[in-house]
Amino acid sequence: MRARVRALVDALVVLALAAYAIPFFWQLLTSFKPEAELLRVPPLLPSRLTFSHYQVVFSQSLMPRALGNSLGIATLTTVLSLAAGVPAAYAVARLPLPGKRWLLLAIVASTAFPQIATVSPLYLLMRALELRDTWAGLILVHASFALPLTIWLLAGFVREIPIEAEEAASVDGAGLVATLRWVVVPLLAPGLASTALLTFLFSWNEFLFAYTFTVSEASRTIPVALALFPGVFEVPWGDIAAASILASLPPVVIVIALQRFLVRGLVAGAVKE
Amino acid sequence: MSVIGRRSAWALGLMAWLLALGGCGAGHERGPVTLVFKYARILGNADPLPELLRAFEAAHPDVRVKGEALPWASDDQHQFYVINLEGRSPGFDVMMLDCIWVPEFARAGWLLDLTSQLAPDELAPYFPSAVASATYNGRVWALPWNFNVGLLYYRADLLTKYGLRPPETFEEMIDQVRRIRAGERDPALNGYVWQGKQYEGLVVNVLEAFWANGTTVMEDDGKVFPDPARAADALKFLRGLITMGVSPAWTTAADEELSRRAFGDGHAIFLRNWPYAMDLFEGQGSAVRGKVAFASLPGRARGAPGVGSTGGAHLGVSARSRYPELALALARHLTSERAQRAIALGAALSPTRQALYRDPELVRERPAMPRLEALALAGRPRPVIPYYLLLSATVQPEFSAALVGVKSPERAIADADARLAYFLQAVR
Amino acid sequence: MTGREAAARRRALVCVAPTVVALGALTVYPGIWVVWLSLQHRIPIFDVSRFAGFENYAFLAVDPRFWSAARITAVFTLGSVALEVVLGVAAALAIHAQVRGRKVSLSLLLLAWAMPAVVGAKLFEWLYHPSAGVINVALGRHAINWLGDPNVALPAVILADVWRTMPFVAILCYARLLAIPADVYEAAQVDGAGRLATLTRITLPLLGRILLLAILFRTLDALRAFDIMFVLTGGGPAGATETLTIYAYRALFQTLQIGFGSAVSVVVFALVMAVAWAYLRLLRTGTVAA
Repeated sequence: MRARVRALVDALVVLALAAYAIPFFWQLLTSFKPEAELLRVPPLLPSRLTFSHYQVVFSQSLMPRALGNSLGIATLTTVLSLAAGVPAAYAVARLPLPGKRWLLLAIVASTAFPQIATVSPLYLLMRALELRDTWAGLILVHASFALPLTIWLLAGFVREIPIEAEEAASVDGAGLVATLRWVVVPLLAPGLASTALLTFLFSWNEFLFAYTFTVSEASRTIPVALALFPGVFEVPWGDIAAASILASLPPVVIVIALQRFLVRGLVAGAVKE
Repeated sequence: MSVIGRRSAWALGLMAWLLALGGCGAGHERGPVTLVFKYARILGNADPLPELLRAFEAAHPDVRVKGEALPWASDDQHQFYVINLEGRSPGFDVMMLDCIWVPEFARAGWLLDLTSQLAPDELAPYFPSAVASATYNGRVWALPWNFNVGLLYYRADLLTKYGLRPPETFEEMIDQVRRIRAGERDPALNGYVWQGKQYEGLVVNVLEAFWANGTTVMEDDGKVFPDPARAADALKFLRGLITMGVSPAWTTAADEELSRRAFGDGHAIFLRNWPYAMDLFEGQGSAVRGKVAFASLPGRARGAPGVGSTGGAHLGVSARSRYPELALALARHLTSERAQRAIALGAALSPTRQALYRDPELVRERPAMPRLEALALAGRPRPVIPYYLLLSATVQPEFSAALVGVKSPERAIADADARLAYFLQAVR
Repeated sequence: MTGREAAARRRALVCVAPTVVALGALTVYPGIWVVWLSLQHRIPIFDVSRFAGFENYAFLAVDPRFWSAARITAVFTLGSVALEVVLGVAAALAIHAQVRGRKVSLSLLLLAWAMPAVVGAKLFEWLYHPSAGVINVALGRHAINWLGDPNVALPAVILADVWRTMPFVAILCYARLLAIPADVYEAAQVDGAGRLATLTRITLPLLGRILLLAILFRTLDALRAFDIMFVLTGGGPAGATETLTIYAYRALFQTLQIGFGSAVSVVVFALVMAVAWAYLRLLRTGTVAA
């Protein structure tokens, strides 16, 4: 009896959350609904399924190119952010850093920075350096914005590493880079995965800077391409639905597959205070 | 032991390559000259532009023309242009400009000064007001491409049924709406549909209401809201149309297309819109085919006669184009008589060359052309100033607030006046 | 200082050098520059560039649109955070109560959180469609003009935002619940505590600190929110969803009034930092007490 109640509770919770995700499923259905039936509701369910919206998105829109841009920019942002963040986190956590309190204060303050505050000077800067509509410009801005959170998270993970491992390495005569490379980073791997995941997600989903600093398909990312989805007479709801599903597929797949790293990452910044 | 291992070197190399690839931005093409032409998708039954572009390519071997679409709404197009042209590497040569942007772009130095390149009489065939809006500081900055003027569309069948003539004042129109609705007993039939959404179209509609009430938003000497009481009264009247039920509640979310569709589906008696709509009403399968006529916009009983706002698109050449002569040749090609005729036939955009309005072939296809010419000549432009967009962006929220009812019209005009005073003194 | 210590300090400086350069150039420097810009009348396309002192701020102090935006920002933030916390805790408790199928539940929850805000906005734009949207179809004759009625638009935007960000709060709480040792609950059962008592006397207090942190993060995010209302309503109708950030962005990039727009940005900046500072102090005193 207890087992059956338990099973019922389990099912109810799953159902409730499935209901919560209805907006997503409705969009999924819409993306396969024929154009003529979109605005003629009820009936809510389509009479047949069609791929025409996806065809339009792949052949006539900027989404495929934007997908490439997003992948490249998010990946490079993550790499750059980690490359600068790992040594900084190590220094903050382990080394006697002059002015550590000030740096920590700056890092914590930076996580609260609103993007709107820096977008106008950055716009002027990008203009002057001719970095508008390039990957490099957006990567630099994204990486610098993700850096404070990266360092905060990684510092927490670094502190979890037993100090004995590093002491053993230094006894063996290893320099800084070697210690980092062969001792710290491997032990940091799960924490690195969580941080990389959060950074990648941030860069993929980022909109304000991407909208302002990208001009053409050369560097337009997915959120911007979706926001600017072309419509001539009226809004092409079916095409937009298809584009939305495609735009959310990569992050959704990654997040669900790497759930436990995500939970660790979100928790690390908070629980381990 | 090297500091950077072999695998790290590979990774760094890959990163550098990816960065370089991305950093290039738009690819640099070698080989034939490529001209980039930015324009908004053309509504209508057939898009004549691809054929016109191919004709240009045929006449100029080794030149390719790439047509690129702009966002749909005028405000979005403007933002696109500003962000690109301001960044100094626009990547396009010929651009379709809303006529209200020409003074602004000319002042900002983004347009090529065409005055010296044009023959003395080259602009004579065009509408004088179209040429006036392409001129700034005595120099010519663009070629007029297509022309717009605000019209009152009406259901001629319904008006005839009740023995009515097209209204000359709004008060007359309201009366006609009441009578027709009482007679038709159709709950889905709206009275007068127009554009009240918060965008440039709203400013056009409100400006026409100002003019009908004998005032304006800015005089030629630069004075803003010379008669705030009349302006507030005009706004109050527009709001009244919605509260009275003459115009539907969704007017505050309506743009050209939304209002056109409502009228085109037979759900409205009167519509304020641009000339392009007529072709769509006369198209195959239209619910109002053969039932629509147009007239001049009505005035106010104790105000002034009604006048439509003029608009339209011009073709400008980017000051930073790498091929200015070719770009100007393309602009000339697209504004030539042949091109304007093709566009008028295929896309229902009205030409800027006056003679075409009496052209036999066009008149056969679009019998309303001569009447349109008369209304076009009577139309009135929006303020032709470099900071028109600043003006429009500042008053749009205030007008919208008054229409929606969150602000009194007097308050809205007063706030608009105060904001404009501050922003314009910052610009001068 | 020994040689080893000096070497360690050198290493530390080398380690943080890239970070300091990046943050300095792309965060701190612009943070100071924006304040300088706010003291000017600066419109690049008209070559306007002159010092204006505090004129922009004086204008904002009496600007009805600014205060309206401030009020809307406050309503959005409070409404969003309150709903997220309530729903997030409920979701966390529900998943924690599950014996099997937690992974499925978490996946369904993460679906909403993983996608870009722009996608979330498009999803809800379609749901809110006046005639073809699921919500209005379900309401039938009582259909509501979600995005066109100024009274309903802000709640509509808040709902869209909460849908997408509630999972964040839920996951934080869920992880904290996982960390509570089982013997705490067993002890409560032994003492004869009922379900409700367990919830209010044990679970919620243990969640307290993590909730405070979640509220901090979410408040800061809600204050800075941009994507959802920009794409869903653009700040309309009639400014009913125009937050301070949207107001600043329009001033900056619709008309390129860099000086005036920067002034609004600085206000947002100051507001967010003030809230962050207040919260951090609250948390620190909380730590001392705990």
